Amino acid sequence: MKPAISPAAFEVLLAQTGLPLSQEQKQALYEPYALVEAMLLHVTQPMPREAEPSLIFVPEVR
Amino acid sequence: MQDFLTIAEASQQIASKKISPVELTQACLDRVKALDETLNAFLLVTQERAMADARAAEARIMAGLSRGKLDGIPIAHKDIYNTAGIRTTGHSRLLLNNVPESDATVVRSWAEAGTVMLGKLATHEFAMGGPSFDLPWPPARNPWNPAHFTSGSSSGTGAAVASGMILGGTGSDTGGSIRGPAALCGLAGIKPTYGLCSRAGVLPLSFTMDHTGPLAWTAEDCALLLQAMAGYDPADPASANRPVPDFTEDLDRGVKGLRIGVVRHFFEKDHPVNDATRLQIAHALDVFEHLGADITEVTLSPLAEWNACGWIILTSEAYAVHEPWLKTRFNDYGELLRDRLALGGLIRAGDYVQALRRRRVLCQELKQAMSKLDILVSAVQPTEAPPIDSIPKWAMLERPSFTIPFNLTGSPAMSICTGFAAGGLPVAMQIIGKPFAEATVFRAAHAYEKATAWRRKRPEMALPVAA
Repeated sequence: MKPAISPAAFEVLLAQTGLPLSQEQKQALYEPYALVEAMLLHVTQPMPREAEPSLIFVPEVR
Repeated sequence: MQDFLTIAEASQQIASKKISPVELTQACLDRVKALDETLNAFLLVTQERAMADARAAEARIMAGLSRGKLDGIPIAHKDIYNTAGIRTTGHSRLLLNNVPESDATVVRSWAEAGTVMLGKLATHEFAMGGPSFDLPWPPARNPWNPAHFTSGSSSGTGAAVASGMILGGTGSDTGGSIRGPAALCGLAGIKPTYGLCSRAGVLPLSFTMDHTGPLAWTAEDCALLLQAMAGYDPADPASANRPVPDFTEDLDRGVKGLRIGVVRHFFEKDHPVNDATRLQIAHALDVFEHLGADITEVTLSPLAEWNACGWIILTSEAYAVHEPWLKTRFNDYGELLRDRLALGGLIRAGDYVQALRRRRVLCQELKQAMSKLDILVSAVQPTEAPPIDSIPKWAMLERPSFTIPFNLTGSPAMSICTGFAAGGLPVAMQIIGKPFAEATVFRAAHAYEKATAWRRKRPEMALPVAA
């Protein structure tokens, strides 16, 4: 499976991390990024307003 | 002395002075000497410390000053738990010479309960990268067949408990790292409710998904170990300030009337498990039903949604933890971990926040689904242990995990052995409870273990050592 992102755009994405990757290491990450794109689709579907990230766990009374 | 003892059995025999902590510890150290060259479960054996602990326990017991059921019990810690004056590496080149000044809270709690510490155990690198063959130490191997995987990341704990080198040990679980090794090594292991056990002094991986917990031979042993590690710790910002119940109180109540929901679509449709795993879960449900439990089917969001949400949060947070080292010491990591972490650096802030929002929806969904149930049952692993050299680098991205949903929700979740596949390797099921209802999870797990014979079988490679 090939990622939707172009190799050039992926290079930019990688550069933004500032990680000291060799060209070989960059290439090794390109194809697996297709799996990340598939993951992201699952969490970017529409959600209700009340789906807020706060209070994931019930706060304890101290 | 009996070949293999559970913690509960050893505790009784120590109390009645049939065995001494020194004898028991020496037997465990002999087993380490005989087996660990093959299993690689230990990164460091602290023999002198173990014998000193054992002699101290023996002196207390002889003086009538026993500290309780864990006094004199041989254990070891996953090497992401800080141990004062004893090297703690995270199984990584980056911390080769790291010697903490103080113990993790859980290490201190177990020591105060009288446990005997045999050493530090192998882990996947920083609890995420494994099995790796390019680290300073080899990966742990499965005592049921050393050519096979232990799962991880609490790999050394799984191998050491299954082979009888220790009676129990610590693990940590961010996406399944206690339950995976418990499943593939034929043990019991529980990821407790988020906030029940302190993470202070444990190398972090993902702040909102990390849990500490025990692995042992039986559910009863896990209950005994959890009792000594649960409780409020102001040093852990996520620690829950609430009373700790007696986890063994309800162990023998049985499952009559217990309401069990089976998340069948997780392991039959969303990520189909192999025949041995599926049949043994079916058999376990028959056992529960025969013992008087009410079984119903439960439908949740597809497993892939839970997995995606969990993976994005875990990997983003792990990247945040490791970013300073990734920028300065990238090539000191093993290939598996550095590549997995690098992907975390590619997740945008907006996507991380969307994953947190999805988490909230999924937490609500599970709460609703369990409103009229006591526990859920699902799979832990899709198959028995695969060969150790066959694990794909991107396994977690390619196939959804059965365990990560309950790191997202913070629910207590336990793996117990449900028997053996044709090749003699163990298979397992997962029991999930409501928040802070570990006692109910233990009650169900204990009832199942008592009703079946699986706890009587040990790995063959460990048997001649005891003979």
